[in-house]
Amino acid sequence: MPFSLDEDQLDCLQELINVAMGQASDQLARYLDTFVFLKVPNIELVKAEEFSKSLTGDNQSTAVVSQGFFGYEGIRGEALLVYQHKDSDHIADLLGYDPDELSDEEQLIDISSILTTTFLNVFARQIDNQLSYNAPKLLTSEQDSMSEYLDHLSFSWDIALKVNITYQVTDYSFNCDMILLIPESAIIDIKTVINRILEAL
Amino acid sequence: MASSVLICDDSNMARKQVIRSLPEELSTDVTLATNGLEALEVLKNKHIDIMFLDLTMPELDGVGVLQNLKDNNLTNCAIFVISADVQPEMQSKVLDLGAKAFLRKPVQVDVLINHLQEHGFL
Repeated sequence: MPFSLDEDQLDCLQELINVAMGQASDQLARYLDTFVFLKVPNIELVKAEEFSKSLTGDNQSTAVVSQGFFGYEGIRGEALLVYQHKDSDHIADLLGYDPDELSDEEQLIDISSILTTTFLNVFARQIDNQLSYNAPKLLTSEQDSMSEYLDHLSFSWDIALKVNITYQVTDYSFNCDMILLIPESAIIDIKTVINRILEAL
Repeated sequence: MASSVLICDDSNMARKQVIRSLPEELSTDVTLATNGLEALEVLKNKHIDIMFLDLTMPELDGVGVLQNLKDNNLTNCAIFVISADVQPEMQSKVLDLGAKAFLRKPVQVDVLINHLQEHGFL
């Protein structure tokens, strides 16, 4: 398949993601004055229709902050920060805000932008790229609106490379998932970049 | 006599980056492990002078390896942690568990050499 990655390409991408994930976690840990537990990230190809269902699927109480990114050499995608509502209720505590200081929406966007931009800036630096970002947007959990949003991202996609990273804040029993969607058109470009890195090893 | 080296990382690319960074005198006797369990098995069966250890790995992570070695008083080799998990709390934790130094990923040749010199391996 033109969009699948071989073992070496997958390993290289995973290592680039590990480094970016580590630095994003460090930023989050410093910001929250706590420790963030890291798991090995998961990378797989997903179909648009299946992904939309899996994101909204059984759990109707999900909040998602979505932010598009794009750089040189065709690198682009969407970063989705997925929170369970039971966790998003803790966010004011985590950020040290008074209950009425910021809306729930602003709090989620705050914490998401730390994770997304730190992660993607470190990722971009490793591949000698520079990324720009769209404004983050909070999505509701209703199936129809989420599906509709995913159908109308800034890129069209049937298949995407999905990178799933879990950030677990130990002191607060708080989890959030960062999901990167890299559409098929950009997978080809990512593979070119990865091949360049592998050849230089 | 040349030092024996163990590189433990689940990433082939990361292992290659460490191998490429090693000075010639440390590159003649290198053993590779892809997770913590494999590393412990190597340490049981072979004398190792220097181990480069990743933290975030399947099966048994780097902290698990350090804890196991400390619990069993197996502290014969010098352990240099090379990890992407750069949180200060994690750096302190691995040093408390007996690692000689913490190096950030991706490993930089000059940083690696400095640490090896500092601990008398060069």
